[in-house]
Amino acid sequence: MKTPMVAGLLGLLMPALGMAGEYNLTVDRVMIDTGDFVKEGIGYNGASPGPVLRFKEGETVTINVTNNLDEMTSIHWHGLILPFQQDGVPGISFPGIQPGETFTYEFPVQQAGTYWFHSHSGFQEPDGAYGAIVIEPEKREPFRYNREYVVQLTDKHPHSGDRIMRNLKMMPDYYNRQQQTVGEFFSDSSEHGFMDTLKDRMAWGDMRMMKADVEDVQGFTGLINGKGPEQNWTGIFEPGERIRLRFINSSAMTYFDIRIPGLEMTVVQADGNNVQPVTVDEFRIGVAETYDVIVRPRDEKAYTIFAESMGRSGYARATLAPEEGMEAEVPEMREASRLTMADMGGMHGMDHGDMDHGDMDMGEPDDMAGMDHSSMEGMDHSAMAMGDSSDPFYAAGSGLMPVAANGGKFLSYADLKAQDPLYELREPTREIELRLTGNMERYSWSINGVKYEDADPIRLKYGERVRFKFVNETMMTHPMHLHGMWSILDVGAGQWNPIKHTVSVQPGTTVYMETEVDEPGQWAFHCHLSYHAAAGMFRKVIVEGGPDSTKANQDIAANAGGDA
Amino acid sequence: MNGSKVLVLAAAMSVSSTAFSAGTHGGSHGASSGEPGNASEASRTVNVEMFDNYYEPEEIDVEPGETVRFVVENKGNLVHEFNIGTPGMHEAHQDEMKMMVEHGVIQGGKLNRAMMEMDMGDGHSMKHDDPNSVLLEPGESKEIVWKFTEQSSIEFACNVPGHYQAGMYGDVNFTRGLAEQ
Amino acid sequence: MSYIRSLVSAGVLGSLLAPAAVAAEEMMVDTTDRKKPLTLWGVQFEELEYRYSDDDEELGVWSGDFFYGTDEFKLRWLTKGEYSIEEKAYETLENQLVGQIPVSTFFDAKAGVRFDTPEGPNRTYGVLGVTGLAPQWFEIDANFYVSDEGDTSAELDAEYELLLTNYWILAAAFDATVAFSEDEEIGVGKGLVSTETGLRLSYDLVDRSLSPYVGVVHERKYGDTADLARAEGGSTEDWFAVVGARIAF
Repeated sequence: MKTPMVAGLLGLLMPALGMAGEYNLTVDRVMIDTGDFVKEGIGYNGASPGPVLRFKEGETVTINVTNNLDEMTSIHWHGLILPFQQDGVPGISFPGIQPGETFTYEFPVQQAGTYWFHSHSGFQEPDGAYGAIVIEPEKREPFRYNREYVVQLTDKHPHSGDRIMRNLKMMPDYYNRQQQTVGEFFSDSSEHGFMDTLKDRMAWGDMRMMKADVEDVQGFTGLINGKGPEQNWTGIFEPGERIRLRFINSSAMTYFDIRIPGLEMTVVQADGNNVQPVTVDEFRIGVAETYDVIVRPRDEKAYTIFAESMGRSGYARATLAPEEGMEAEVPEMREASRLTMADMGGMHGMDHGDMDHGDMDMGEPDDMAGMDHSSMEGMDHSAMAMGDSSDPFYAAGSGLMPVAANGGKFLSYADLKAQDPLYELREPTREIELRLTGNMERYSWSINGVKYEDADPIRLKYGERVRFKFVNETMMTHPMHLHGMWSILDVGAGQWNPIKHTVSVQPGTTVYMETEVDEPGQWAFHCHLSYHAAAGMFRKVIVEGGPDSTKANQDIAANAGGDA
Repeated sequence: MNGSKVLVLAAAMSVSSTAFSAGTHGGSHGASSGEPGNASEASRTVNVEMFDNYYEPEEIDVEPGETVRFVVENKGNLVHEFNIGTPGMHEAHQDEMKMMVEHGVIQGGKLNRAMMEMDMGDGHSMKHDDPNSVLLEPGESKEIVWKFTEQSSIEFACNVPGHYQAGMYGDVNFTRGLAEQ
Repeated sequence: MSYIRSLVSAGVLGSLLAPAAVAAEEMMVDTTDRKKPLTLWGVQFEELEYRYSDDDEELGVWSGDFFYGTDEFKLRWLTKGEYSIEEKAYETLENQLVGQIPVSTFFDAKAGVRFDTPEGPNRTYGVLGVTGLAPQWFEIDANFYVSDEGDTSAELDAEYELLLTNYWILAAAFDATVAFSEDEEIGVGKGLVSTETGLRLSYDLVDRSLSPYVGVVHERKYGDTADLARAEGGSTEDWFAVVGARIAF
């Protein structure tokens, strides 16, 4: 172990656009080859995914974006703290970028870590318009590594985003090929008995809900850095080195459970922010989240990075190896997840009284209203979770409860503690309840029962600290993303609560986050599942007051409208 | 708090304490980390500052047989350890430290001293009092005098869960002839 | 990022500015498509098949619909018919144009007109109906009709899909018509008019766009309607073997 280790040194080994403050991006029609199929899509600088943009904390970046498409486009810098006019959401921050137009973004970089960028127009992001952002910190990082790689995941589908949206609206189960069959009825019957299985099916049939409703959009090929499982993206290492892997989930719809058989992963960043290191065997990455982990392969052999989708309908795969061409075993996917009655805990108007779940082991929680984390304030969830493998951020008995493939440690939100808190702890000035609502049969998604098209903006006041209460009343997981300001996720760790840009809310649970309202302007706030956001689970947030508000109003008054 | 787990932990710690303090347990891995030194024999003082999550300096040079007085100060916001040992010893110690976190003995920036002192029965406790290491809250400073008896693969490391893996360790490089200068 | 942002002073500042800020209107009005209701279209043919009856009758049969609209309002064109291959004539030919609005979590109400233009007399009806998903996954479509002759009738359609696998699907369909008054000209007697029961085994060949199937269909006329059919020399009960495809795009 005499290798000199310099944090961030490896930045130089990655192909970068250069360290200067000016960058050029073109938005292009590209061909995307997943190994399973070839599909026209949208990319940056001629490729999907686009380039890794490497910024430096403290610099002001200028990014010239040229739209070579025949439709409007936009780029949103996901997770970056910047003036709202630079945030890249058509109709909220700016009008969008016209075909043939070059739009120049300019903003100061006030943070470090792993982020990403993507189009916020139509379904361009699921069609391929995304890339990674790596920001080198001003100060030394609280961890060391010899090498780093961006590991950017997506769920590339052979259908275009428009077509997927239309199919889902026409038949919400269009892409679901994990539904319960006659065969499963018989196998469940032999396990649990015929009557109990029948009762179970009747209970779900009565609700008109599917246990198999974990992944709406199946049939994708999981890509890592643009490569399908067969194309096998490979990162090279020398045994004994510490490697920083910057995982980014740029999927339209898919959560991935990530593991590297044979290696422990030490999570050091979540959503670009340093967390107290926690060593895990596996972690689940929500759509739009990022996790940075450090691994240390000691042996002269290949290791598989295996990313199974949460619903086990597909996977992405890559390899870490001492030399190109080496491969390790690719594990089988585990059995498809099934929702339980616990995941339905947040639903209104369900009559659970006459259902007998006793023998079906459906893990019905005592309190059907779901878990309320506020009552556990001050307790250490990670300590609590010890001994049983249950994660307090899932409904007790949830069918989505993550379990490590090797029986070891699976990362929970409860394990995430800020390494160096950005904000002082203070009482929130008020609480805003956001019920995550929807109707699977109509494939309509909303907040507090109101779709974006019918909704008034959420108005916040500059300087307040708002406590958001997410109550998930649907049976799907929603990664909620507030633009422009940090989401301080309440894991019960007080001042050590981590700050994130995307907060996953599991079915049947209530999750709290607080936001220091410290950026004026107007911002998007939405579920990051592409087809949920497009179906209405979206809000505009207006921050009233603040230092630049008058100027901001004037700037934006000139620009009306836009085109998503 | 799960009583039986605490007992297991306490037992594990007392076993490892024996191994550490013996200092000559190297036979099996062909390496020993040295032994507690006598302050009067210390050739010099090395100041080690602990930050979140790294040391300054990140390596030190010693001569076989040299006794060094370490003054360790925690300048970070989290609890950190300064522990002298072989990589194998650190690995074994990390399991114990993990249990200390799970039992709430180490809580981010705080140490639960009362719990560390608690008598678990049979004279076991979760005291972290091995001579080769110090466990410090933010702002604390302590000393270790250590004799590097023979050349071997030694690191100083923080075994608070995740910290070592994130890179909070430093190399002890053995040099010859340092004493002559 | 290591500094602590102190927002205490900012908070005070914010509250001082608040009165002014309330006056500030929305900085930019979102006029993008996202802010508009999602407008979609779709075409589905539940049945598009060739039927061969137990007395050697051959029919071309379809039942499909085209919709355009939003969650709040859809325009739907429903079309179905039976074409006798031997006689080169439409035994039935029915087109409906309805508006559809959601009325509950799982059901829509619809209203519109229906035009029947088979071989023989034509009829125009006013339509009121509900369509949706009933408990235990029964797809229900129930309609009430008033004809231009003043006759009233009702029709109930129910369908259930049994997943043998996620690609092999056994679909059971049941359709019953009841007339509340007689319309002799078109062979409809008062009371239960007819039922059609079908069992089709399909395989999803291309996504859910193209699903070929084989099946059996049983048609039966009842009561006065059966009497009218017998008087015309027609059959009152038929069994068909069917082969066709379900189509959606």
